Amino acid sequence: MKAFAAVTRATVRQLLGGRRTVLLGLLALVPAVVALFLVADTGEAVAMRRFHDAPFALTFILVLPVVSLVLGAAALGDERRDATITVLVLRPHARETLVGAKLLGAWLAAMAIVGTGAAAAGAALGIGAGRWDVLAPLVLAVAVSGLGYVSAFLLLGYLTQRAVLIGLIYVFVWENALSFAVDGLATVSLFRLGITGYAALVDGAPRLLADVLGTLEPGVAGAVAKAAVIAVVAVLVGARWLRRRDIA
Amino acid sequence: MTVSPAFAPDPTIVVDGVSKWFGQKVAVSDLSCSFGPGLTGLLGPNGAGKTTLLRMLCGLLTPSDGTVSVLGQDPRRTPSVYRELALVPEEDAVYGYQTARQFARYAAVLSGHGPADADDAIDAVALGDAADRPISGFSKGMRQRAKVAAALVGRPRVLVLDEPLNGTDPVQRLRLIELFRELADAGHTVVVSSHVLAEVERMAARVLAIVDGKLAAAGDVTAIRRAMIDIPYRVRITLDRPRELATRLMADEAVLGVEVEEGTLHVETSDLAGLGAAVPRLASDAGIRLTGFEPEDESLESVFRYLVRRR
Repeated sequence: MKAFAAVTRATVRQLLGGRRTVLLGLLALVPAVVALFLVADTGEAVAMRRFHDAPFALTFILVLPVVSLVLGAAALGDERRDATITVLVLRPHARETLVGAKLLGAWLAAMAIVGTGAAAAGAALGIGAGRWDVLAPLVLAVAVSGLGYVSAFLLLGYLTQRAVLIGLIYVFVWENALSFAVDGLATVSLFRLGITGYAALVDGAPRLLADVLGTLEPGVAGAVAKAAVIAVVAVLVGARWLRRRDIA
Repeated sequence: MTVSPAFAPDPTIVVDGVSKWFGQKVAVSDLSCSFGPGLTGLLGPNGAGKTTLLRMLCGLLTPSDGTVSVLGQDPRRTPSVYRELALVPEEDAVYGYQTARQFARYAAVLSGHGPADADDAIDAVALGDAADRPISGFSKGMRQRAKVAAALVGRPRVLVLDEPLNGTDPVQRLRLIELFRELADAGHTVVVSSHVLAEVERMAARVLAIVDGKLAAAGDVTAIRRAMIDIPYRVRITLDRPRELATRLMADEAVLGVEVEEGTLHVETSDLAGLGAAVPRLASDAGIRLTGFEPEDESLESVFRYLVRRR
């Protein structure tokens, strides 16, 4: 347990160090800044519509996937490229422990950035339109989708040095284009995981997010369960790779 | 019954018919040997396969063929073996943002040891004064010592070090060599790789020489040295009438071969000193003008290659 906590702490420290954090932090604050301008001095209904059209959409289709991609891919990828992976794997612990700790660390780091940005955007809506009930579900939704993204990108980062490029193609082609265009693909869209949870918790959200949800049913438990399953699968697959593949 | 010098008594690491290839490239070829308590030097030129072998010993690479066991276990399948096995890799596998003490303590907690063990290891590599400075500001030699400290935490029974003296200054080198010897004397299995013969000679009584992925020689340093004495020397002589001198040299028993080029002779001899005395005399007798006499092919790599050819 001590080792798990140590790897998690070190991962958060590694990922949140340097200029990368500043840039990602600025990106994460963009939805909040946009929200401040869009929802000020409007009625509640207009503010809610504008919030979901712009800051909310920016958070889920740009900020969350990009931050999760950069940090998730770096969690194991940087260790491999910097050769520090040997510091981790030559230890008397199951590989699952290591990958699980790296995943948790990457998720916490991503949430420190995106969660803060989402909370700021939610607060902007609360200040501008009095809808404080959005803030907590928004942060929860970001956390749920973030877990899915970080899990996927953690594996991608270990596999290839071009993880960010491939991840961006995935985000913009699959998530932002194909999953809207093709019926049925929404069910395997990671950003929609959190949104289904959010829609179940916020009054009026299913109507405002009808285009995004499509045929998906709002529900918190299902969203959390799916994200947890993705994370567990990622840990198992990552551990298997560390056991079976050469660590060069 | 004689035991091959490639095998140690009471082995803690056993390498049995191990090969490793990456695509078409064979890095290690059908290698069998073992390591036991004490210090063993793994000697070979760059690219010989030392690092690949050491990474297989530590379970980072899977052998394409053959088996490796450490303390009776396959390290790829049994993580618990890492309680007693540590590696100092050749690369700078350190976290620049950590201090040396944080790095050693991180290694300690990952290995199930306490901070006091980490501090002991820092002291053992004489890094105490710099222990609380970020590793990013360290010299190469200090980073090497930080890596050694991290591996040393808890004093594992088996310590594998890949070129640990690279980048260290003479004082640091001496200190590290003493430390490795102390561990070996205390019954730890210490395997140290190097491409510098003199370095290994100072550390290890037992040496395995590896070239082109094959075991070229094994035994004590004296035996390796003796094997090297048998190597024919190649000398390049530049002169104005090479054919004439070649004819005269062929009468010398110590001359094993002569190649003639425009203005140059390449001579292979078993007696370098004798050739050095004979050439000026023969040239003077025949009125040949010598402009150069220099040994060629003296690199350690060529020595290793000779050892491989000789097997």
